[in-house]
Amino acid sequence: MMLANGKRLARALLWILLLLPLLLALLQVQHADVANTRAVLNWLGRLTGIAGLTCLLLAAALIVRVPGFDRLFGGLTHLWRTHHLLGAAALLLLLAHPLLLAYSAAGVSLAAAAQTLLPASGGLATWFGWAALLAMMIFLAPSFAFFGEPDYQRWKWVHSVSGVAVLLALAHTLLLARSLPAPWSWIVWGGLALLAVAAVTYRFVISHRLGRLSYRVSGMSHPANNVVELSLTAEERQLKYRAGQFVYLTPYDRSLPAGYGEEHPYTLSSSPLETGLRITIKDLGDASRAIQHISSGALVKIEGPYGDFFPDKIGSELWIAGGIGITPFLARARHFAASGVAADVKLIFCVQDEPRALFREELQELARSIEGFALTMHFFYREGPLTSDFLRSHCADLAERSAYVCGPSALNALAHHLLVGAGCRRDRIHTEEFVLL
Amino acid sequence: MRKLTYTAFIAFWASALTLIFVHQLQPASADHSEEASSYTLEQVAGHGSEQDCWMAIDGKVYDLTEYLPLHPTPPVVLIPWCGKDATEGMRTKGYGRDHSPAAWAELEQYLVGTLAEE
Repeated sequence: MMLANGKRLARALLWILLLLPLLLALLQVQHADVANTRAVLNWLGRLTGIAGLTCLLLAAALIVRVPGFDRLFGGLTHLWRTHHLLGAAALLLLLAHPLLLAYSAAGVSLAAAAQTLLPASGGLATWFGWAALLAMMIFLAPSFAFFGEPDYQRWKWVHSVSGVAVLLALAHTLLLARSLPAPWSWIVWGGLALLAVAAVTYRFVISHRLGRLSYRVSGMSHPANNVVELSLTAEERQLKYRAGQFVYLTPYDRSLPAGYGEEHPYTLSSSPLETGLRITIKDLGDASRAIQHISSGALVKIEGPYGDFFPDKIGSELWIAGGIGITPFLARARHFAASGVAADVKLIFCVQDEPRALFREELQELARSIEGFALTMHFFYREGPLTSDFLRSHCADLAERSAYVCGPSALNALAHHLLVGAGCRRDRIHTEEFVLL
Repeated sequence: MRKLTYTAFIAFWASALTLIFVHQLQPASADHSEEASSYTLEQVAGHGSEQDCWMAIDGKVYDLTEYLPLHPTPPVVLIPWCGKDATEGMRTKGYGRDHSPAAWAELEQYLVGTLAEE
């Protein structure tokens, strides 16, 4: 209940912060701002600048990664999606911003329009604006795959140019006094900039020092030839988490061919009642491939937990897992078994073929020991893509259940489509995605 | 989202470059300054009211009577500059910020002559 209220409050606060600068600008509108096409274009040019900077600063503020805080936004993956949307909105608005101002100046003369874009003398504010916009194009190009799919580590590095873009954009705005009325200009931009700076400081300085727990690799198994399940033992303090959450893991093993000291997100596959952590990792990139053969006893740092996939209460649930997406469900099932509770869960586990059916034996064992937990395997090579008939025949009452989906994005999209078609309420369909986290 | 942002990215460069190239390719306009009349500050001072408002700015003289109601701030801000050298007002807006290139370009529409050196 408290979490539900917190979620509403967080969403309301975000909307207020997003709309406040725009409202302040709208309140000052004068007749002269909308007197003719030229004035309207100029006014819209200024508004897009204000709205774009707001989106940019809020996107920066949302990079904060405080365990627990992300649950107010429905988990880190959802928080990230909001960040991504705000970033896209900032880019679209700020691309329109100089063009609208130049078009407006074209109403005077073509020379004035060209001067607006490229001032011949002075125009420091304009050059700051250009530098900020170019920096945005650079750091957002990989995020929207302008030039193909980016490499994860390079993308992270390029994305740090965003700090420069934010500073230049602020300098640009504060040199132009006409953005918002006098005291508000400082309150709004100063306040939002402080939020962004606090978020960046927490994320890259404080959380690295205080938010990371030391663990040692104490065991490993290979549920498939390209998947490893690491068992970790705490050096000092234990991580407190809920089943199905994920963490950022940073390995410090010099023998690793890749990924030393790099953080990557992985789902915890253990029950919170276990003494150590278990983390299941599939080799999807250089770092996750290297970690398949991490040394026993190696130090890893764990930051988290994040995610808000499952509710605290156990209800009637339908789980749809695809491949490595089984990990949060495995964690929750293990937790049911460890706490000895009954469940009302139908799990449909979609995999390509038998060798890729990760943890199949353990899941069958869990289905036998947990009351009310049923497992259905779906093999792509035999049955083709998941169909609504398949769902209905193995879960007749799916419209009455809350659905949880975790797998590759194609399966997530398909499952969502099938569930909605079968009468499942949209607000009861929960998906967990790990795209560029 | 990818398609939308990429389209906007391309559209931005297409529009900005078109504007700049079209401006570059425009034939240079003839220079009228030689034929322009010349006025002394004393003559400018003779047009110092809201109904007849001339200003000297950066060595040129402008008749801004028709522009006064179009200015973003209320006319009272501008009227004190009527009949005077208003370069400072144009350069600082009263709080240290220069007018935009568009505003400077717009000013040229109201040019009536140059300021005579005394």
